[in-house]
Amino acid sequence: MASETPSSGTWFGSAEKVGRLRGRIFKWTCLGATVLTLALMLVFLLYVANDAFRPFSADPGWLATMGLTVVVPIALLAGYYYRRDRSAGQVAYTALGLPVLVALASGGLWLLFRHIVSPREWFVLVVSIVVAGGLVVGHSRVRHDAVTERLVVTVLVPLLVVVGIPTVLPGLGQFLYLLPVLPNALFSLILGFVLPVAAIVGWRVRAVRDADRDGAIAAGITVAGGLAGLGLGPLVGIHPTSWFVFAAPIVGALVVYVEHVVRNDKGLSGLAFPVVVVAGVFAGLAVTQLLGFAGPDAWLNMDFLTSAHDTDPSEAGIYPTLVGSVLILLVIVLSAFPVGIGAAIYLEEYATSQGRFGTVMELIQVNIANLAGVPSIVYGVLGLAIFINLIGMGRGTAVVAGFTVGLLILPIVIISTQEAIRAVPDSHRQASYAMGATKWQTVRNVVLPESLAGIFTGTILALGRAIGETAPLLMIGIPATVRIAPDSFLSRTGAMPRQIFSWSTQITTEFRYGVLAAGVVTLLVVLLTMNAAAIVLRNRSQQTQ
Amino acid sequence: MTPTDPSPDRNQRRVATDGGVSTTDDAESTSDPTEADGDSEKLVDVSSSFTVSDDDEDRPQAAETAIETRDLDVYYGDEQALQSVSMEIPEKQVTALIGPSGCGKSTFLRCLNRMNDLIDIANVDGEVRFEGKNIYDEDVDPVALRRKIGMVFQQPNPFPKSIYDNVAFGLEVQDEAVTDETVRRALERAALLEEVDGRLDESGLELSGGQQQRLCIARAIAPDPEVILMDEPASALDPVATSKIEDLIADLSEEYTVIIVTHNMQQAARISDKTAVFLTGGELVEYDDTKDIFENPDNQRVEDYITGKFG
Repeated sequence: MASETPSSGTWFGSAEKVGRLRGRIFKWTCLGATVLTLALMLVFLLYVANDAFRPFSADPGWLATMGLTVVVPIALLAGYYYRRDRSAGQVAYTALGLPVLVALASGGLWLLFRHIVSPREWFVLVVSIVVAGGLVVGHSRVRHDAVTERLVVTVLVPLLVVVGIPTVLPGLGQFLYLLPVLPNALFSLILGFVLPVAAIVGWRVRAVRDADRDGAIAAGITVAGGLAGLGLGPLVGIHPTSWFVFAAPIVGALVVYVEHVVRNDKGLSGLAFPVVVVAGVFAGLAVTQLLGFAGPDAWLNMDFLTSAHDTDPSEAGIYPTLVGSVLILLVIVLSAFPVGIGAAIYLEEYATSQGRFGTVMELIQVNIANLAGVPSIVYGVLGLAIFINLIGMGRGTAVVAGFTVGLLILPIVIISTQEAIRAVPDSHRQASYAMGATKWQTVRNVVLPESLAGIFTGTILALGRAIGETAPLLMIGIPATVRIAPDSFLSRTGAMPRQIFSWSTQITTEFRYGVLAAGVVTLLVVLLTMNAAAIVLRNRSQQTQ
Repeated sequence: MTPTDPSPDRNQRRVATDGGVSTTDDAESTSDPTEADGDSEKLVDVSSSFTVSDDDEDRPQAAETAIETRDLDVYYGDEQALQSVSMEIPEKQVTALIGPSGCGKSTFLRCLNRMNDLIDIANVDGEVRFEGKNIYDEDVDPVALRRKIGMVFQQPNPFPKSIYDNVAFGLEVQDEAVTDETVRRALERAALLEEVDGRLDESGLELSGGQQQRLCIARAIAPDPEVILMDEPASALDPVATSKIEDLIADLSEEYTVIIVTHNMQQAARISDKTAVFLTGGELVEYDDTKDIFENPDNQRVEDYITGKFG
């Protein structure tokens, strides 16, 4: 530079010397691609939401009232959080999102209680598990040093107590059924669900606050929230058992979260957000009712969620297939997750990269990456060939559907779990080994606790992929429409994406636009809530590390 | 104890650093370069025949040997990282390993608790005798060995757990009873208890770098090992934190055999009783009492290295 004589007089800021045009064009092109993606997503979502909710079918007065009571306060609060208190904004969306997420999970549980496990069976199961857990803990207290014996006890006792030996010795549950007095459904759920949830909440609060009294208070609030259903439920037309299943977890989660916010004393004002939203909705509904404004004639409403398919579009609903999807998800969680996480742990922590065995492992690794890209219809054929034709399981059952879609997301689970495990710093493993820890102790005490949040994130995202898969369901004979919800994992079941696909082929236009859109939105809400949970979990784990 | 004002008894043990090292006629007269490799007998001779001129040395001269290596070779794949290193490391003293980067001093340290086993391509030849047993024998479980020989790393690496759980970790994995008392005693011996008392349930990651390193030392000494290996424990720390760690090492050597790798020659001179100088290629060039190494090295290359002409 120094040797060049500046001919133009100024060496700074001359466009000829420092060419930036190509860089600028590149930057704007990339921005364009981003905007295009987002815009397409937004247009699609608005389009579907418009079809599903039909907001413009409502009275203008209804829209105005709701806008005043719900949208305006939300916008004002959001603006306040954005300007004044960013951490309160974070608290606000968590405080609103957490109950929604828990409600969704409770909804799945409610479906199970209604169709698969009766409250009484659940109660017996909980008692058996508690007894088995007590026996295992008791054994480890009495015989602390007998490591091998404890291993046998930990595996065998729960099996014996909960399942028993088929045809020889019934499990504890069988004996409990012989009791002359068993609690009815209501008390079964209080004892087997509300109280355990409250116990977990109380134990957690007690652990973080290190005070018995606070734990007891937290548990008490949870129990009160659950039992309020006995009085309030009939008033608002909700059966007390349903109230228990939804209210206890939601109240419990809120108690834990509010305690967390209050203890950290950061963003307290964010807690006002969910209160304002809920109050706004109720106020709006009350005012519109009073003034006689009609709400929108939405396709997606309570009737849609609680009724089965019907030849009349206005009567059609998604309920049985919703139950089916929940069952399929449960099968996936219980089958694909343990296998996938186990395989990932082996590949990351145990498999060597040396010698002939190392070559085999490398081959497996490459193939797992390839399997993640295999078209889903191929997995459908695989499921049909193996589970139905070879093993002879029933066509279109939740088990077969869960196994097949589980197979499909297995590579995704393995790869994301491997990434989570790889994110654990090697220095922590070294530290553990240098302390004289065995491989198992290192994996158990260092690697798994540190990668757990990452593993959850990856698996939840994989589950989101699973819930929308349609092609494999077509191959393994999931029925196009079902009118009755499945009552076991082995009965024929519907699934949401399959139902949506069959609505798209109906001749009536209302099916192809309204009902279809309502189904898509239902599916999207479930999926997006799960993804949001995964993202929040990931952010939290990044903050703590 | 404040970091800038070390306790007097440590001053006594300190050896003159820069002043003593400056080249004199005396140093040049010992021009006969001693070849260290493969000559363990000679090394023993050197250390036992040495007599201190200053009488403020508070260490017994003929200390028991804690660890002895014989003709130790290490290969990473085809590359040789250590060449036939033989040395005897005295019990309950501080032994410093110094030398330029890549000279094999960390490799040597990691041989002593078989951490090199974790590197697939590492290959160890020769013997390391610890409590009368070659630790590379078939019947030695590296896990059992590491329970006797603790280690502290260059970067502070506490687990993302509470301070209490960090210290309790070693006790737990070694199936020893975890009591508040043992945890507190380990923290106290690592000179950390005063600073963290009352917040033992906070995350170990919330401590400062120097505190984290002392937490790692507390974690290493909680299960009460025989030997503590330190791989440049202060190189990632500021001078104040470094000084605290150095004070701590001096205290620890009353109970433990401490072997420390360091890049910092002043540090080696300050804190160690014996010093081993490794030079390029994984060769142990000179091993002697720290005073001799820094004041009157036998080997010209060692002298060049210490005076900064090389390395």
